[in-house]
Amino acid sequence: MIELLAPAGSLEKLKVAYHYGADAVYLGGYNYSLRANAQNFSYEELKEATQIAHNLSKKIYVTVNILLHNKEISGLKDYLQELEKIGIDAVIASDIVVIKCIKENNINLEVHLSTQASTLNYEAALFYKNLGVKRIVLAREASKEDIKIIKEKTALDLECFVGGAMCTSFSGKCVLSNVATGRDSNRGGCAQICRWSFNINDKKETFTMTPKDLNMAVYLEEMLNIGVNSFKIEGRMRSIYYIATVVYEYRKLLDKIINHTLTKNDILYSNDIINRCANRESTPQFFDKLPTEKEQYYLGRDEVSNQDFLGIVLEIKDNKILIEQRNYFKIGDIVEFFGPKTEPITYKIHKIYDENMENIDIARHPRMKVYLEKEMNLQPGDIMRLKIFDKNNYL
Amino acid sequence: MKKNNILLLVTNKTLITNFKKESNITFLFPLENFCIGLPTFALENIKEEGYIFLNRILDNTDIEKFKKIITKLPKNIKGIVFDDLGILNVLIKSNLKIKKILFLNHLNSNYQSINYYLDYVDSVFISSDITINETKEILKKAKKPLVVFTFGHVNIMYSRRTLISNYNNHFKENVPNTAILQEKITNIPFIIKEDLYGTAIYTKEPFNALEYRHLDNILFNFINPLFLENDIEKIIKSPTNLDDIYPYKYLSTKETIYKLKEEEK
Repeated sequence: MIELLAPAGSLEKLKVAYHYGADAVYLGGYNYSLRANAQNFSYEELKEATQIAHNLSKKIYVTVNILLHNKEISGLKDYLQELEKIGIDAVIASDIVVIKCIKENNINLEVHLSTQASTLNYEAALFYKNLGVKRIVLAREASKEDIKIIKEKTALDLECFVGGAMCTSFSGKCVLSNVATGRDSNRGGCAQICRWSFNINDKKETFTMTPKDLNMAVYLEEMLNIGVNSFKIEGRMRSIYYIATVVYEYRKLLDKIINHTLTKNDILYSNDIINRCANRESTPQFFDKLPTEKEQYYLGRDEVSNQDFLGIVLEIKDNKILIEQRNYFKIGDIVEFFGPKTEPITYKIHKIYDENMENIDIARHPRMKVYLEKEMNLQPGDIMRLKIFDKNNYL
Repeated sequence: MKKNNILLLVTNKTLITNFKKESNITFLFPLENFCIGLPTFALENIKEEGYIFLNRILDNTDIEKFKKIITKLPKNIKGIVFDDLGILNVLIKSNLKIKKILFLNHLNSNYQSINYYLDYVDSVFISSDITINETKEILKKAKKPLVVFTFGHVNIMYSRRTLISNYNNHFKENVPNTAILQEKITNIPFIIKEDLYGTAIYTKEPFNALEYRHLDNILFNFINPLFLENDIEKIIKSPTNLDDIYPYKYLSTKETIYKLKEEEK
């Protein structure tokens, strides 16, 4: 089983993730989930999300991955039984109490072990396998060799991150946020102290520990070859544009690997698109080596905001494309459309019409609806972005 | 006054000399190649009776090394305190007749999880990151005596990255492998310590939980003398809780924030 797994911080993001090629999504339910600031799903939303997933023959996993304190024990069984009733496909858990609760109460839920458990060796994986865990989300620190051996010795489903933000610490092994702000990092409140700036001894230069993001595009094929089953994208708090772009690129790469049509140019092109979309530099981190200073930032929060996301195609009619604007664009701009059934198409904007079909020069208002001339086949849901990379340059 | 059983982390050899005649003190030796953020001892250099400490997350190579070590454990090693659940799985399958204590730093925060682990081990460290009231409830409901953090600097972050070396390489600096960090806006200080296996960050002040000596159902009160070696004797032997000298209570007095939106209400 090979699976592309995407984050879903909301129903809208869930739909985008599936639409752009995710086989499964993970999300936080209304309780016991890390990412306390995400729009976690209510009971009704979870039901709707599960229905959407299963209508598309896709999967949906719910994170039950906080570190439980005494007072949370009492509601756990009821919550898990509610998730069972909703019909989700699995829970992602780290605390043994969740795993045992499911087993002892015969709750029909598959358990995936969260990366919070920081599993790096096959004996730890076997411990969890004996508890009934079906899949391990390996520590982000896992090397190629670690993954290969764990697969060989356990035959468990393995899930590995391929993209998104990294913790400086082993997951679960950091309470800097608790100490500095009172916000509990293992219960969804992480204030990301590791992305703050520090003085070290009497040195002039600022000390930071901020890791660059993860991007495994160049190693995707190797990951697949050593037995990774689920390719996970981090980012329940990320934008729709990020979800669509990154899912789209990884979907393309995975499909080409499976079909034996992947070229080096495909990898390099996707790698650049993903890096640009993340707004932070991205690298493979622990897969091929121990990270050095090159896998970190030394300039504080070095995030470059871009306005690449220009709009979404809402409708195609009467030789016009109806676009909902997301960032400023104007006549003369060179843009690009892409979508699940649309290979990236370059397009020069030579006319823009407002909703009354009056000619305008600029689409300047967020979410305004404008028409462009239809000169190619597009689908509703396709995305319009600034053209930055030309695939022809990679040939 | 009851005499507590103390589990004393051995961070230098002087501690052994100073405390070897104390009947209530059990030495805990950080084991070479299996610890992060601590001075360590090679197994063959541990001559006194005591436990070994393995606080690192292990990869497959480490696990194989561990399997070899337990076949040749000397008789003076009476127990093992460990973090990685791979070690637990190896121990479950072995016939090793020593005390087994699960450390699982930061993660044993409720009585139910602890009771599950107690099916496999002799005792469990309670997370030091919870309140004293939560600790009391866990001790009350645990089916075996537990280990509680009682004094010392707390390891609050463990990274596989060599953060000081990376900084030195990037800026061509020469910061030593133990240094003081100070956050630039809040001025909160920490101690950072790097070794071969990554980087650990500790609280700048020692967590004074000497009042935990009076709680029930405790197997050991754990003392970490790292950075405190000169003062540790008076701390251990003090009949009072020394709150005037060491007032830092870490996270024991106030629950951490779980759901931010609820907190805002």
